[in-house]
Amino acid sequence: MLINFVYIKRDTPIHRLDPRVKFALLFAYSLSAAQTSNFWFILAGFIGAIYYYRSARLKWSETKRAWYFIIFITFILVFVNFFISGGAIVQGVDLSHPHHLFDLPFVHFTRTFPFLGPTKFPFTVESATFIMTQTMRNFSIAFLAVPIPFTTNPDKFGIAFKGMGISDKISYAIDLSLRFLPTTVRDFVTTLDAQRARGFEIDKLRGGIFGKVARLAPMIVPVVIGSVVGAEDIISAMELRCFGVGKRTWLVELQARRIDRLLITLAITGFAIVTLLNILGFIFTKGPLHFLHTQGIPAFLAP
Amino acid sequence: MAISERREERSRPNIWGIGVREVVLMALGAALYAGLSYVTNALQLPGASNVSLRPGIVIPLFFGAVFGPIVGAFTGGIGNLINDLLTGTVYWNWDVGNAIIGLVAGLAMYNTLGRYNSTVKIIVAEFYSVIGILIGLGFAAYSDIWVSKLTFASATTTEFIPASLPDIVLGLILLPILLIAYNAAVGRTGRG
Repeated sequence: MLINFVYIKRDTPIHRLDPRVKFALLFAYSLSAAQTSNFWFILAGFIGAIYYYRSARLKWSETKRAWYFIIFITFILVFVNFFISGGAIVQGVDLSHPHHLFDLPFVHFTRTFPFLGPTKFPFTVESATFIMTQTMRNFSIAFLAVPIPFTTNPDKFGIAFKGMGISDKISYAIDLSLRFLPTTVRDFVTTLDAQRARGFEIDKLRGGIFGKVARLAPMIVPVVIGSVVGAEDIISAMELRCFGVGKRTWLVELQARRIDRLLITLAITGFAIVTLLNILGFIFTKGPLHFLHTQGIPAFLAP
Repeated sequence: MAISERREERSRPNIWGIGVREVVLMALGAALYAGLSYVTNALQLPGASNVSLRPGIVIPLFFGAVFGPIVGAFTGGIGNLINDLLTGTVYWNWDVGNAIIGLVAGLAMYNTLGRYNSTVKIIVAEFYSVIGILIGLGFAAYSDIWVSKLTFASATTTEFIPASLPDIVLGLILLPILLIAYNAAVGRTGRG
């Protein structure tokens, strides 16, 4: 088995962006979107995130594996959340008078046999809006997150973290772990093949959960222990070369362009403004400063 | 016995320090965690929502318990991030949660000094590991109440329980096996 990062070398505006910008945009948007359930705010973010994702020119065939996972997660987060919570999912907004649309038939636990009985989940304008907002929030974060692995050369992660203020040693460790990865995967696969030759069947682990887990040990133990014991040679070699004694230089230097600096400034400023508006929304219970604490449903939908 | 305990006491390591040894072990731990998760991604535990059976969880527990909380935190956090880079998605709160697992598991070093030559010390490592999994995955799952606007009930039933229970079982079974194997290897090679 060869290990492949999902990085795709291409010349697009997103590929050219400094990796720090991509992380800054993801964190700024995620942390801003977490502060509100306002439909219009999230819609604006959703449209912006789609534009960002389209700029990366990633094809469906390249990203479908990631998207299947994201769609599955979003389904769980949105719909299972709705049913498990008995329809009472709206949070983070003022909700004193919900506008009832219809009841959804469902089942709930009862005290008497057969311990399950029919019930009704109220479906309101507010919960419908919340479901749409929640779906858009998850997809907009995904639109910002997916381009990171697909458009950022793994070689630049170490220096990117260094550029974000992380220490030389930690940044170098990130760099080093990406170099170790192909070797460790090869060792796992070699060990797996060797154990299979002895009759070990990882694909058909028998027994209960405890039995299954215990049967995984022949694959894990040799590789982990072998790697740790073998790492002593690397440690000795690095110590002999006086690693960490002086200030470290990097072969690759990240050069932030004007657009990179502008985007990082916008991301940080946007996050600061949203946070300020969120705080002001607690003080002013009405008016424009309170809008992040409302769902933003038009009056004709929820009179 | 008394001599060896006194020796351990005298050479009490700074568990928060980062030297060459820690840099290499952090990198190795993260690579092993990501690599093992990558190889075993095919194993899905029925009933879990977005959580697969990940024997790799033992890696941050082991690296934390033996080499300290910083190595454990790096192994968990960066290992999970690298696995994200291999699968094409980034869930930053789960990366932080995995870092917490390794960090808390590493606090066992306060009691064991990273030497697991008795049953009691292995039980101590198991205890910290379970606490680490509960806190780390608790953070990851319940931060989704804020990040993804889940309800508490939903975060508990679709994320926290399906993620933490298999990880606790995996940790409780695989960690002692690794610790005993590591002791034997260190004793045999005279390294570590």
